[in-house]
Amino acid sequence: MNTLVWLAVILFLLMIGIGGKKGARSFFAIMLNFGVLIIILFMMLGRDNDPVILTIVASTLISCITLFFINKVNITTKTAFVSTVITIVLLIFFIVYLTDRSMIQGFSEEEMGELYVFTMHIGVDFVKIAASVIIMSTIGAITDVAISISSPMREIFYHNPSMNRKELFFSGLSIGRDILGTNTNTVFFAFMGGYLALLIWYKDLAYSLGEIINSKVFAEEMIGILCAGMGVAIVIPITAWITALALVRTKKKSGATQ
Amino acid sequence: MDSVLEMIRKKLTYKYVLAVALLALLVACSMYFVHHNYSFYDRPIAKVLETNQVANKEVTAEHGNKDKVFTQEILAEIMNGEKKGQQLHLTNEYSASATYSQAYRPGNDLFVSIDTDHANENAKLTGTILDVKRDKYILLVAWVFVFILLVVGKKQGLYSVLSLAINAVLISYALDMYIQYANFGLLLMCACSVVLFTLTSLLLVNGFNQKTYAAVAATLLGTLTSLLITYLVMWITAEKGLRYEEMGFLTRPPQMVFMAGILIGSLGAVMDVAITMSSSIFGLYEKNADITVKALKTSGMEIGKDIMGTMTNILFFAYISGSIPTMILYLKNEYPVSYTFSMNLSLELARALAGGIGIVLTIPIGLYTAIFFINRKRAKS
Repeated sequence: MNTLVWLAVILFLLMIGIGGKKGARSFFAIMLNFGVLIIILFMMLGRDNDPVILTIVASTLISCITLFFINKVNITTKTAFVSTVITIVLLIFFIVYLTDRSMIQGFSEEEMGELYVFTMHIGVDFVKIAASVIIMSTIGAITDVAISISSPMREIFYHNPSMNRKELFFSGLSIGRDILGTNTNTVFFAFMGGYLALLIWYKDLAYSLGEIINSKVFAEEMIGILCAGMGVAIVIPITAWITALALVRTKKKSGATQ
Repeated sequence: MDSVLEMIRKKLTYKYVLAVALLALLVACSMYFVHHNYSFYDRPIAKVLETNQVANKEVTAEHGNKDKVFTQEILAEIMNGEKKGQQLHLTNEYSASATYSQAYRPGNDLFVSIDTDHANENAKLTGTILDVKRDKYILLVAWVFVFILLVVGKKQGLYSVLSLAINAVLISYALDMYIQYANFGLLLMCACSVVLFTLTSLLLVNGFNQKTYAAVAATLLGTLTSLLITYLVMWITAEKGLRYEEMGFLTRPPQMVFMAGILIGSLGAVMDVAITMSSSIFGLYEKNADITVKALKTSGMEIGKDIMGTMTNILFFAYISGSIPTMILYLKNEYPVSYTFSMNLSLELARALAGGIGIVLTIPIGLYTAIFFINRKRAKS
């Protein structure tokens, strides 16, 4: 049987065995997210569809699936969702500007050697595609940070209902600071694992430091990692602020109706 | 108003001001350097002075794809080498989709080759564009990254930046060692580095304590088990369905590079799960030292269930998204969908699935190592 099918089956069994129903939901969430990614990919082929808008739509759908399908709709997933979307929108315009200035879009000189059989005049804006790739590769990490902050914040508020908005915000911020290091690490190693072949290539072919730093693929990788790290960091205060606001407001509301 | 002033005064300690001033100086110096480092490069660099669009045509390439092709004439000034200060004429052809080349604007720095066969001395210099000078953008983004991490994370932000820098140096050093002593094998080399990465990242961020030791043990066990499972599956299925053809930048056997990539790639996520498990278990124990092992197990599994889905998602998107541009190229060139997917996604999916297996396995492993460390602590006291 196919290696991929085996690996998928093992993952599925492990997720059910360890996570029960929630594990099964997590597995199906990944499959659904894969579906969203493929649909967006086909929509990007259309000449009149703006990849940036498509990316924002895709990120919204993906964080919806990840947050609401696995964890159900409640106040913490809702605030995590809003924070994720705000972070993505803030980040994407910065990244589009950056890819345009640093000209990291498209295929590099090294890749062109293998891709010479393809027509390159395909009428899809690759600057926006490159920005879209960077955003899509960090969407998982951003959602993870958002939910890891908003959910303990609710617990803290539940145990200390007298906390005001500012105190809640700072407690959220401090949770975020504790996970910042491991989260940037996760993203860093995930990217490194994917680019190991490239790093060995540079070493084997004795590229000079100047050649490596200025080459398109390396620049793309570095900017990708750094922007992912920025996303992971920016989402922390945004989530802490929005969750603090939402928690205090719902308490006031329920207090008023009682 | 007074409280704000008080806060500012409290923050403005001597050390704090010194640190900010030093950082600002470092940023200013390094930015100045990358904008004026032309003489450090051997390859000739030219700065674009003027651009002039000379042609602009709609093309309909094969497979009915419509695109616009532009031609630019560029006047540039050579910034380094023997011909420094002289003017250079370049032409640039690019398409609206910018798959390979792109429009240049005045102020851009380009790596060029200068044509040498000039019959007479007074003829104007011409050349070819090789690549773009990107170092200043990378430095800019790096500083923005450091700045955001410091503002949001303060001390922890600083530690995160440091640990990333140390890991980057380690990875580069490990690869140097591998290339020097190739008979050690890439996998062994990466296994050694994984131990080092785990120690530096976890100790730096979480300090020397039982909690960290439990996380280190869980990370190593988790990555080892997931690697063994993946290896076993690849061996049983004879790697059917894995298409190494599209794996770019190969100078070494693809299987080994791929396996080493799985090892390194899932390490961060596995570490994340391990430290989350061990700090929450230790947190429960510290709050209530008499807590039963059974209660620890139940709460630990609940925590594990909560993080399982989002963690596997991180790896999934980090890997799959990178193949979007090549897949667009394939599909726009009318390659069949199934061929496009199997060529571009098989390795990425395998990587994501293997990483997912590592994440999920680390949940019980992390739980039981933490309990083991707690039991040892209890036995001692």
